[in-house]
Amino acid sequence: MHIPPFSIFSAVSELFVTAGVLYVIRRNWTRQPFPFALFLTVALFEALVNVMYMANRAAAATSPAAKEVLSIGMKIAYACHGLLSLVAYLVFVVLGVLAYQEQKAGRWFFRDRPALTWSFLVMWVISVGSGEVIFALHYLV
Amino acid sequence: MSGGEPARSGNILPLVAPRSRRLRAPLLVLLWWLLGFEAAGGLVIFFMRLAAGTTPGVTAHVVAGAGLTLVYAVYQWQHWTRVAPWRSRLDYALGLIAAISMALALASGYVLAWPWFTRAFARGHDAVAYSTLASAAHNIMSMLVLTFVLSHLAAVLLRDRGGKR
Repeated sequence: MHIPPFSIFSAVSELFVTAGVLYVIRRNWTRQPFPFALFLTVALFEALVNVMYMANRAAAATSPAAKEVLSIGMKIAYACHGLLSLVAYLVFVVLGVLAYQEQKAGRWFFRDRPALTWSFLVMWVISVGSGEVIFALHYLV
Repeated sequence: MSGGEPARSGNILPLVAPRSRRLRAPLLVLLWWLLGFEAAGGLVIFFMRLAAGTTPGVTAHVVAGAGLTLVYAVYQWQHWTRVAPWRSRLDYALGLIAAISMALALASGYVLAWPWFTRAFARGHDAVAYSTLASAAHNIMSMLVLTFVLSHLAAVLLRDRGGKR
């Protein structure tokens, strides 16, 4: 099956974005200065490339002119992954802004809230992991 | 003076923080309700359109979107006249991104509403052929609105809290 180049780019870049997210949290967790430039880069890249890709794919899949016929299970997986991606992105940006502001006051947002931090990380990993699984099932299996 | 503290005059009202009063203003409360309704409705439509090929509640989504446009325009005008001029601060930058995203979300919403409106006007029963580009743009811009409105609010409230310490 032909794999669109943008799909490959998005699937691979999502792993680099995840590395960026983990790095931002790790820095805060270990009480090091907040990497605001990296946070901004990751947030903008994720919104303008990966979430845009996901939104475009979702819109194309529901278009009357859609060429691909998806199974019910795949449609529900698309919908759940899309929804989770949107929520995970929203939470990442809001928590990042809070962490940046808190650090300016000498507090370590992620370190001080381990339950919230781990919950977010689990959600992020499920969001990214489900995208990679859908990619693999759709193009590689 | 009594006990080292100045006596409060009878005609002085208790001090209410301007921010807490503004957060309870009817216009802002209405804006929150409309935004919440649109966000919840939009997520339901996004999910159901993908999973089942249906768009439940799209009429309410369009009508509330028109109301949101009016309420937001008035609120944004009032807000800007209060906070202007521009300052190079995180909360201002986040607010600007939220405002741009809101304008684009509403604009793409009207692009999507137009074929729905013409079909409703013609009393047609065919599925509405939404533009893929407008649909994707509306989804992502709506998500950016929620993200940056909440970030803007968080930044402002934390800045307030930091100032009080």
